[in-house]
Parts: sequence; C-alpha cells; structure tokens
Amino acid sequence: MAMKAEEIKVDIEALKKFKKRNMEERLNFIDYWVNYIKTHSDEEWSKQQNVLINSQIK
Amino acid sequence: MIYDVQKGEIKLSRILNKLDQFVADFCGLLDNYVIVSGYVSILLGRSRATEDVDLLVPEMTKDEFSKVWKRIHDNGFWCINTPDFEDAFKMLKEHAIRFAKKEPVPNMEFKMIKNDFDKYSFNNKIKVIAGETIFFISPLEMQIPFKLFLVAEGSEEEINSDKDIEDARHLYKLFSDKINKEEFLKIVNKLNVKDKLKWL
Repeated sequence: MAMKAEEIKVDIEALKKFKKRNMEERLNFIDYWVNYIKTHSDEEWSKQQNVLINSQIK
Repeated sequence: MIYDVQKGEIKLSRILNKLDQFVADFCGLLDNYVIVSGYVSILLGRSRATEDVDLLVPEMTKDEFSKVWKRIHDNGFWCINTPDFEDAFKMLKEHAIRFAKKEPVPNMEFKMIKNDFDKYSFNNKIKVIAGETIFFISPLEMQIPFKLFLVAEGSEEEINSDKDIEDARHLYKLFSDKINKEEFLKIVNKLNVKDKLKWL
C-alpha cells in the first residue's frame, strides 16, 4: 500500500547530519579527484571525465 | 597539465569531449573572448558536465555584432532568445543571449563585458592549449573568488553541497602553488568573500 506524506516522521536533526556528511563527502571527493589528476596523465583522467560528459550530450 | 604562469599558458594533453568540441567550434568563430565560470573548472578536469558555457566578449557596435551574428549562424548555431538580429542586439546590451547548435543544450551564454570584474577576466585571460585547440579562460585569481561569490549566503549548516564551492575548491587545490596569492586575496576582499575561503 502506498505511503502518504502525512505518515512521514521527520527527524530534522538526522537530516541535518546527513546534509553535513553529504557535503563533506563531496568535498573529499574533489580532493581525491584533484590528486588523481595530479598523479595521472591528462589522457587518463580526461578519458574518465569524457565518459560522463559525452553521455549527457547528443 | 602544465601551467606556465609567466607565459599565462596551460598546456593540456587531454582528449577533447563533445562539450569541449562544441565550445571550440563556437569560440573559433570569435576574434576576442574569455570563458568564465563553470566550464573553466570542467576544461581543467572537474568531473561534471554543464548545460551552458559563459562567455564574455568586448563591447561591440551594431555593425560589428552583425558580422559575428552572421558568422555564428553560417556555422550552424542559432540564438535561443530570438531569431531576429535587431532584438538580439537590444537584448545583448542588457543581458546575455544564448546560442546553441541543433539542440538547446548545451549552449553558449554570450555576454558583453560590462564591469571591472569582466574587464579583469578579459585582460588577464589564460591561454589553454589542448592539442590543436586553443581556449581563453578567466584567470584563476578571479575565477576562484568569483565562484565563492556565487555561493548562496548562509551559515555552514544552511549551505548544502554546492557546485560553485566544488568548482572553486577544484581549481584552488589543483593550482594552489601557481596562484598569485596577493592578487587572489585582493579580489577576495573586493568581492567580500573572505569568510568563504574555508571551503577551499
């Protein structure tokens, strides 16, 4: 049976923690990726970036 | 990726993607321009795509713009805002206009230089050499603080993951040893984004 919006129990504190952790993880990934770029050839990292970008453009 | 600060050149041996090719095709039609905002980070490796690429061009007379308008259209691009040249020129004096090729996404956001931040970006642009292709991008000392300026206002708790923070951090971490810190901090102060440096 489908759940109704009014049945959702909200724990704002938990959501705030999730939001903070999510941002930290995203920033950590930026650092990881920059390190990857610095330690790999342009050809290697751009090949991966291109998979993401080419898949979104016709 | 090699950044020669003295020459103001970044050499890239990357494989160009469809977005790079789209940007190169458009920019190749212009005599003078500088790319600003998100695509700068993407060209320099950020792992994301974008729907638009922001471009600044020097102020143009109607006659100058009519030549550019024709060249752009002769090469398969179209203006999303209007098919009418007169309307487009009027709009361009007020705000950016967008050009696409076939589909509306991705598109080039084409804007005339209006303020001193724009002028700084144009006058201090960096040449990016990617194989046979040349791009001109905004200097990092402007690009990073400006990205921080675009970040939504709010406390650390209120700010969620934000592409502008991520773009700024990417560029800062990648080129931290090459950035002219004195110039960078002056622009940080002009844009009043000192409190946002913690994101870098």
